[in-house]
Amino acid sequence: MLKKYTFHVTGTHCASCKILIEDILKEQDFIKSAEVDLKKETVSIETESGRDISELARTLTDKIKPNGYVLSVQKIMEENKSDDTIWKAVPIGLGFLIIFFILQKSGILNFGIGGAITPTTGFIIGLIASVSSCLAVVGGLVLSLSAKISEDNVSDTKTFMLFHFGRLASFALLGGVLGAVGNAIGINFTFSAILGIIASVVMLLLGLNLLGIFAKNRVALPAGIFNFFRKIEHKTFAPLLVGFGTFFLPCGFTQSMQVAALGSGSPMSGFLIMSAFALGTLPMLALLSFGSASFAHSKHAPFFFKSAGVVVVGLGIFALLAGLAGLGIINPIFNI
Amino acid sequence: MNKTVSIIITLGLVVALGVIFIGGEEKTPAGNNVAIKDGIQYITIDAKGGYSPRVSRAKAGIPTKLIMKTNGTYDCSASLLVRSAQFQQILPQTGETEIDIGIPKAGVPVQGVCGMGMYSFQINFES
Repeated sequence: MLKKYTFHVTGTHCASCKILIEDILKEQDFIKSAEVDLKKETVSIETESGRDISELARTLTDKIKPNGYVLSVQKIMEENKSDDTIWKAVPIGLGFLIIFFILQKSGILNFGIGGAITPTTGFIIGLIASVSSCLAVVGGLVLSLSAKISEDNVSDTKTFMLFHFGRLASFALLGGVLGAVGNAIGINFTFSAILGIIASVVMLLLGLNLLGIFAKNRVALPAGIFNFFRKIEHKTFAPLLVGFGTFFLPCGFTQSMQVAALGSGSPMSGFLIMSAFALGTLPMLALLSFGSASFAHSKHAPFFFKSAGVVVVGLGIFALLAGLAGLGIINPIFNI
Repeated sequence: MNKTVSIIITLGLVVALGVIFIGGEEKTPAGNNVAIKDGIQYITIDAKGGYSPRVSRAKAGIPTKLIMKTNGTYDCSASLLVRSAQFQQILPQTGETEIDIGIPKAGVPVQGVCGMGMYSFQINFES
């Protein structure tokens, strides 16, 4: 006999949670259908099993607990800790932003490297680039995506590996192509500026999402963007593609290296220079993504997400204003 | 941590951020990077970790060229965009690049900005 049960669910902080929970529950053979109502925070299932409702809740919770969701018969009153967290997170996030911008302003990162670019200097320039203003775009994007993916708790390690692999592969391959072609295949400023603006909008949306601004009405993200993230989280191809796309993101260092690869005259040296450069940027970016993951799984998780949200929103605003200035839409506001 | 304390710290940090962004002294006084030779006005600007000087003053009404000087420049300032001259190029890591900006009109400033938009310079033309 088919019976319908409704449980209360906690931990559904994102729109994709609905799909994830439904997918997991439907995999259980004794469950005919499962539906999640994000607004009411309930899960309704239809089952033929004659088990007791609280036993069912326990069994199903075991299945979805690894992803951070808990089913219960009674509604669990959510502890309202978020107010406290945000007040701690904001100063910390701002602190990081200040350190970052002081570092840029100090000019420490502007020391020159003379002579021809070899893979070794490429690697060093990569190290510098990874803490430079490029971090505002590339790093901000990595941090926001990583935090978001970790928050949704979907196989983050694999996703990050794919992203970093995609990034390294694209730099190596396109470096080789640049070396082979030997003249500008049009590293178009407008194109990369537009990409930068898209990246900054993504950062802003994700940052606000991490801060929990959207959480109240459960409108996580517009459907299109949300589908895109769902793809990033669940597919192999998307993180690879995003990693690949970072080659084109606006970053002075990357562009300089692209020109160096162009001028290197052979596919092999272009390949080596760009690979070395990407390897140089890897430690910082890997730290950002895997650091997010380890924080996200610790007890400081809510605090981390909020702080990361502040940092990402700050960098997003910076990248957006800079990008608009780069396109000539607004006057340049700052010199960092 | 107390909420009030946090708010005060936050405000302090916001002010500090403001100072970092808006503040910033002009290293070179405007004017001494402009030279006129054989009827052509040359304006020299250093590009490395930003542009220097950020604001220049020059004469309007005579043929003018920009000289962009780079010296081991890998950061954003190497990818230069001067919209009014339709100049869009990644400067060589070390060297000088000449950009013809035609005959500027008084009161119409020429602006250069780096590819990411975080560094910029401006030249004001006066009659």
